[in-house]
Amino acid sequence: MPMETTRVGTSLKTASEQAAATIAAMPAYPKSIRCPICQRQCLTYAELADHYAAEHPDSVAPVAVTLNVNGKACALIFEPHLTLKHVLQFHLGLTGAKEMCDRGACGSCTVIMDGKPTLSCNILAAECEGKVIQTVEGIAVIPKWKPLIDAYCKWDAMQCGYCTPGFLVAAKVLLDRNPHPTEQEINEALSGNICICGTQPRHSQAILEAVLVMAEGSDG
Amino acid sequence: MRAFNHINAATLDGASDALKRGGAVALAGGGDLLGALKDDIFPTYPKTVVNLKSIPELEYITAEGDTLKIGALTTLADIARSSVVTENADILALAAGRASSPSLRETTTIGGNLCQLPRCWYFRKLNNRFDCARKGGDRCFAVTGDNRYHSVFGGAVFETAPGVKRTCVAVNQGDLAPVLTVLGAKLKTTERVIDAGDFFGVGVLTATVLNCGEILTEIQIPINGARKSRYKRFAFRKSIDFPVINLAISVDGENNYRICLGGVAPVPYIAAQAETLLAGRAITEELAEKAGLAAAEGAKPYEANSYKVQLIKTLVKRELLAF
Repeated sequence: MPMETTRVGTSLKTASEQAAATIAAMPAYPKSIRCPICQRQCLTYAELADHYAAEHPDSVAPVAVTLNVNGKACALIFEPHLTLKHVLQFHLGLTGAKEMCDRGACGSCTVIMDGKPTLSCNILAAECEGKVIQTVEGIAVIPKWKPLIDAYCKWDAMQCGYCTPGFLVAAKVLLDRNPHPTEQEINEALSGNICICGTQPRHSQAILEAVLVMAEGSDG
Repeated sequence: MRAFNHINAATLDGASDALKRGGAVALAGGGDLLGALKDDIFPTYPKTVVNLKSIPELEYITAEGDTLKIGALTTLADIARSSVVTENADILALAAGRASSPSLRETTTIGGNLCQLPRCWYFRKLNNRFDCARKGGDRCFAVTGDNRYHSVFGGAVFETAPGVKRTCVAVNQGDLAPVLTVLGAKLKTTERVIDAGDFFGVGVLTATVLNCGEILTEIQIPINGARKSRYKRFAFRKSIDFPVINLAISVDGENNYRICLGGVAPVPYIAAQAETLLAGRAITEELAEKAGLAAAEGAKPYEANSYKVQLIKTLVKRELLAF
């Protein structure tokens, strides 16, 4: 029986439907290329670069970078000092990775980069070209990981829910590397994530149950 | 963060040249620098960030003959997981696996860990609020201020400008610094090879003796089958926290001990008196206690950090008895 708890918000969409809609809405190309300083409209990135060289020689020109996020190649133009977290949220509309401490100390912004848990607030987006990036939305649309999300809902491993995407991503990386973790291994893998509401004990319960459900699913 | 130019360095020479041009900082894993840029702690905001990760062939772990070689861009997680490191220098794998948090270890590098700036809260205060000696200012605010995490072996005297001597009491809090010191590692840079014990220094906006534009490239650790070693970190939190004190001890086949403490002095502190006391002797409970006292000999704690002296005595004794 599909669990009612996986329905989020008032839209009566399931988590995976909502994530799929968010991923579908990610722009593959920048909608418009505007100079961030004088708002001048440019047709191509080359034109913008020329415009910077001519009009704003003392400013830092945006860079053109193609990011591979959730299986979709997205051509983007942004300033080189922006973190991956910022670009995911404000250029691609992916709000799953959350900004809490913005110093790499809380784990709320965890994404998966080349199979490794990575703090998106602590890496420059300009350095992520050519890397395979997966966010919590990309996990939610894969049916294999539905038991994990269901278990998080069932065990109520959240209160305000702000840190939960980071925990979920860290848990997914753990299960990728080690499909049958012990409670101690779970606690170790999640030790980089902080929940101020204090839901830590529920996470190991939820993940241990998800492991059982996923094992049953793969047998049948 | 405010805007800066971003350069992907293709070669070490290119990176050195870019760094020598001034107003430039080197970026590896970003664990230290990005936080510093977000907090805006530098007296002058850097114009250029030079990305070192784009330089190929600086990420490797190999055991060649009697030397374990680790590229400076190797991440802490790779070091912690590496069987080569575990076999030849187990405390390095242990210390790398305890630093920061699992997800930060995947991006932060050994080179960055060794070159990180101090975590003194006056130095790190948002928006360069305290113009302290370590940034070229006039005074060290921690001497009379809140110094609970600062040095117990006095401050480091250094020149902020030619002829102007100032003191800084911030500690080197890195996890790997004491480990590499007791292992007798050699650190290869673009210009020279430096002993790990001489690598750390105190200067304006630096925690190493590296010159402007000099880049750490390789860590070379001598392999010694008879060596035994231990690493202990004392921190208030198990994860995502810097050690208040950390301790590395190694002993060779002839009972020659090397003891190095982090978090107690501006550079990793080699407990020479304890080493002399222990040389060639077998550990007993009484000797371990004396070694602990010897390690803390000469400590001059400030108002709020005398607890560190007790920590030194206890940790040294416990770890010696645990061999």
